Amino acid sequence: MSNGGGDGGSQQRELPGKRKLFRGSDFAFSIARMAVAQICESVEVNSYQESQTREGVRFSSFQESALETLTDVAVQYIQSIGKTAHLYTNIAGRVDGHSLDIVQALEDLGSGLGFAGVSDADHCLADSGVVKDIIRYTGEAEEMPFVYSLPRFPFSKEKKPAPSFSEVGAEPPDEHIPIWLPAFPETKLCDRSEETNAATIEGEIPRKENGSSLPSMQHSFDGGRLDIHKSPKDVRESPKAVVEGNPFLTAPLRIVEKNVSPVVRPLEISNEVVRTNHVADKHMRNNHHIPVLEASASSDKINNKNWLAESEDGEKEDVARKQRTLVRFKIGTTKRSTCLAKSRSFQEEGWFQENEDKREKKSEIKEKRERIDSQLSTQM
Amino acid sequence: MNHGQQSGEAKHEDDAALTEFLASLMDYTPTIPDDLVEHYLAKSGFQCPDVRLIRLVAVATQKFVADVASDALQHCKARPAPVVKDKKQQKDKRLILTMEDLSKALREYGVNVKHPEYFADSPSTGMDPATRDE
Repeated sequence: MSNGGGDGGSQQRELPGKRKLFRGSDFAFSIARMAVAQICESVEVNSYQESQTREGVRFSSFQESALETLTDVAVQYIQSIGKTAHLYTNIAGRVDGHSLDIVQALEDLGSGLGFAGVSDADHCLADSGVVKDIIRYTGEAEEMPFVYSLPRFPFSKEKKPAPSFSEVGAEPPDEHIPIWLPAFPETKLCDRSEETNAATIEGEIPRKENGSSLPSMQHSFDGGRLDIHKSPKDVRESPKAVVEGNPFLTAPLRIVEKNVSPVVRPLEISNEVVRTNHVADKHMRNNHHIPVLEASASSDKINNKNWLAESEDGEKEDVARKQRTLVRFKIGTTKRSTCLAKSRSFQEEGWFQENEDKREKKSEIKEKRERIDSQLSTQM
Repeated sequence: MNHGQQSGEAKHEDDAALTEFLASLMDYTPTIPDDLVEHYLAKSGFQCPDVRLIRLVAVATQKFVADVASDALQHCKARPAPVVKDKKQQKDKRLILTMEDLSKALREYGVNVKHPEYFADSPSTGMDPATRDE
C-alpha cells in the first residue's frame, strides 16, 4: 500500500522532514482540503438566504492560501479534539475513548466562543449546549457526503511484521527456534526454480508455488483476520519476486542463443548427420527391404543420440528436430522420403506453392509485358 | 465529577437524547470522510473503534468550518461594495474566500491568523471544488 503522496497534484512531494512546512503534499491534507472546500461551498447558501432576500450567495472560489489556512485550522481542530478527549480519557483511568470524553473536549474547545450553559459548572455532560448545537446543525445543514469515495484511506496503520512460524503454519527447522519468531524466507523455492530448465520455467513455477506455499498458508488462515491474511501474501510475493527474477534474467540470454548461434551451427552438423544416415538408409532399403518408417525411426534415434550429446537443454532438442525435418526434406531423393517430409511439416508444402505461385506470377508478368509491347507496337 | 448526581430524571432524558443522536449518526454521513477524521484522531493519540464517535467529531468539525466560512462570507459581503463590484461582479457574482476575511472570521474563534502582506496569491477559479483543488 503506497501512500497517496502524489495526490497533492500541484505540489511536489517533499521530504518527510519538511512535511510541516509544506502540508500540501500530504494526501490526508489534500483530502481534508477538498472536504473543507466542499463544506465552504455547500453550507453558505442556507446561512445566507435568511439575511438577504436575494438568492443565496456562496463562495465559488478560494484563495489558495485561505483555503489552506482554513484546512489547517480544521485539521488542528480535529487533532485538538482528539488530544483533549484523550486527556480526559486518561484522567478517568481508561484507555479507549468514550462519547462523553469527546463531548467534554468539545466543551473545552468551545469555551472560548461560548455556548449555552457554559456558566453552569455542574451541568450534565450529556446535556451540553455544544451537543445541542451540533444536533441543531445536523438538522439544518443538508447532508452532503464527500464528493469522492475514498477507495481505502491509504495511511499505514501499522507496519506488519514478518509472519511468525505459527502464522505461516510451518514448523521451525530446528528445535531451538521458538514458533513465535518470524518465519524464515522460503529458500527452497528459489533453488528449485534455478534447477528447472528454461523451457519449462514459465509453466512450472506457478504450479510449484501453488503447490508448496499456498496450502500451508491456507491452513493457518481459515478463520484468520484480514491482517494475517495479508501478511503471508507479502511473504509469498517476496519469493515470487525472486523466482520471477530468474527467468527474466535467464530467458533473454537463451533466446539470443537460440536465435543466433544454434541456428547456424546445427544446420551444418545436421546436414552431415542426415546425409550419412540417408546413405545408410538407402543401403538398407536396397539390401534388406526394411520399411521406410523404421528406417527413418532409426535415423531419428541416431540423430537424437547425437543431439543429446551435443545439446544440454530440452529446447535445443526441439529446435534441432524442427531443423532436422527441414533438412530431411531437402535431402530426400526418393518419393517416399519426400512424402514423409511433407506429411511431417506442413510448412514445406508452402514451398512448392510458393514456387508455383512465383512461376505463375512470372508467367503473368511475361504475358503483361507482351501485351504492353503489342499495344505499343500497334500504337506506333 | 459530581455534576451527574444532581437530577436523575433529567439526566436520563439527556442520556437518551445523546444516545439517540449518536445512533442517528450511523445514518448521517458527514462531509469529512470517516477515514480522514480517524487518521487525524489517531495522530493525536485518541483511539476508539466506534464509528459514531468519529462521526461526532466529524460533524463537530464540519460545523466549526461552516461557522467560520459563514462568518467569512459575512465579512466578504460587508466589505465596501465597489471593490468587489468593479472587479468581479460584472462578470458574475463570484465570491472569493480571501485571506483577509478568513483571518477576521477566525479571530472570533480564537485563532489568530496573520495575513501575509505581500504574499501574492491568485484565487483559483473553477466551479467544482473537487476539480479546483486538485
